[in-house]
Amino acid sequence: MISGENGAGKTTLLRCLAGLEQADGRISLGGKIWLDSSAGLALRPEQRQLGCVWVDAALLPWLSVEKNIVLGTASTDTAWLAELADMFDITPLMQRKPCMLSAGEAQRVALARALYKRPSLLLLDEPFSAQAPAIRQRLRLRLKAMQERLHIPVLMVSHDVDDAHVLARQHWHMRQGRLLLEVVHAKKEIQR
Amino acid sequence: MLESLWLSLQLALVTTVLLLLVALPLAYVLTFRSFTGRTALEVVVALPLVLPPTVLGYFILVMIAPDSLLGGIWQALFDRSLAFSFSGMVLASLLYSLPFAVQPMQQAWRAIPQSWLEMARTQGLNMKQTLLQVMLPAARGGVLTAAALSFAHTMGEFGVVLMVGGSIPGETRVASIALFDMVELQQSNEAWMLALILLLLSFVMLSCVYAVNRRQFDVGIGR
Repeated sequence: MISGENGAGKTTLLRCLAGLEQADGRISLGGKIWLDSSAGLALRPEQRQLGCVWVDAALLPWLSVEKNIVLGTASTDTAWLAELADMFDITPLMQRKPCMLSAGEAQRVALARALYKRPSLLLLDEPFSAQAPAIRQRLRLRLKAMQERLHIPVLMVSHDVDDAHVLARQHWHMRQGRLLLEVVHAKKEIQR
Repeated sequence: MLESLWLSLQLALVTTVLLLLVALPLAYVLTFRSFTGRTALEVVVALPLVLPPTVLGYFILVMIAPDSLLGGIWQALFDRSLAFSFSGMVLASLLYSLPFAVQPMQQAWRAIPQSWLEMARTQGLNMKQTLLQVMLPAARGGVLTAAALSFAHTMGEFGVVLMVGGSIPGETRVASIALFDMVELQQSNEAWMLALILLLLSFVMLSCVYAVNRRQFDVGIGR
């Protein structure tokens, strides 16, 4: 997890990893090189098998929630879709249009969409910011369980220290574009 | 009268279909691509908005005359003149109505939120999928507006089609030219009828544009 003040470069870091910003250096995941600027190699975002949740949920208003989640896939994995809908408490919303959703619901749909394609990396920018506190904790635990089950590395930007307690194996603080220090948290018992 | 109306409808329909095919990629390039001469191309596309139709018509007539390069090639291929023909009028209408198709589409492309395009890329959609599943549906209001404006504008053309097509009954005498001829021949009743039909057609087309745009706005703000 990454935290830091506004303007520290947290979102920019996620965007660089996603390939949405030009970056120098080297990025690789699981032995696959995503970026090697010295070799002139840079995979496009669509080649990186990402799951992303940004502050703007970016749901397409003419599609139902279900169609938004499965966007770009040839066939629908209905069992997996139902599991994600249940996980993020959006089952009753699946046939609704985004204009009928609250900000919190739209954010949960974006989370389901990010996971639907079983990405190789999950990039989350304040993924629970629009959720009520009671829902937040439930979502954290469910996301943690899903992360452990699918073995998906997650890089999350958050200001919420509870996110770090529940979800983070490593917690870095960022200032002026640099990852400064690893924040150590006392271990908390996770109630499932 | 019906013959000229039918000809106008045919001209407007053919022009609209061809314009959409030309204007959609042209508007895309003008909106999203950066290249030398982009401003000049935008100016050329917008020129028919400010040029007197007779000036545009004159240049097109010179361009497609049998002794010109384009006119000569056409004559060799089809053994008939491009000037004063239906095909010549289609070409003239394409150029004359080009800004009415390109500009709404440019606005529609520009209005697509960057976050939607980035979401499509990070969700793994390739260029074709992004175009078909995100960009075109998002721009459909602009496409419909472009189609309706092109159709209505072509229906109402006078100066350009008169210069390029003349007024050959059944071949190039479209409704607006037929109306002019009726007024000159003092056929008041026929002129009234034709003018009323053209007015109603334009009213219906513009009503469709406004209704579509209103609906798009309502969906956008969640009404």
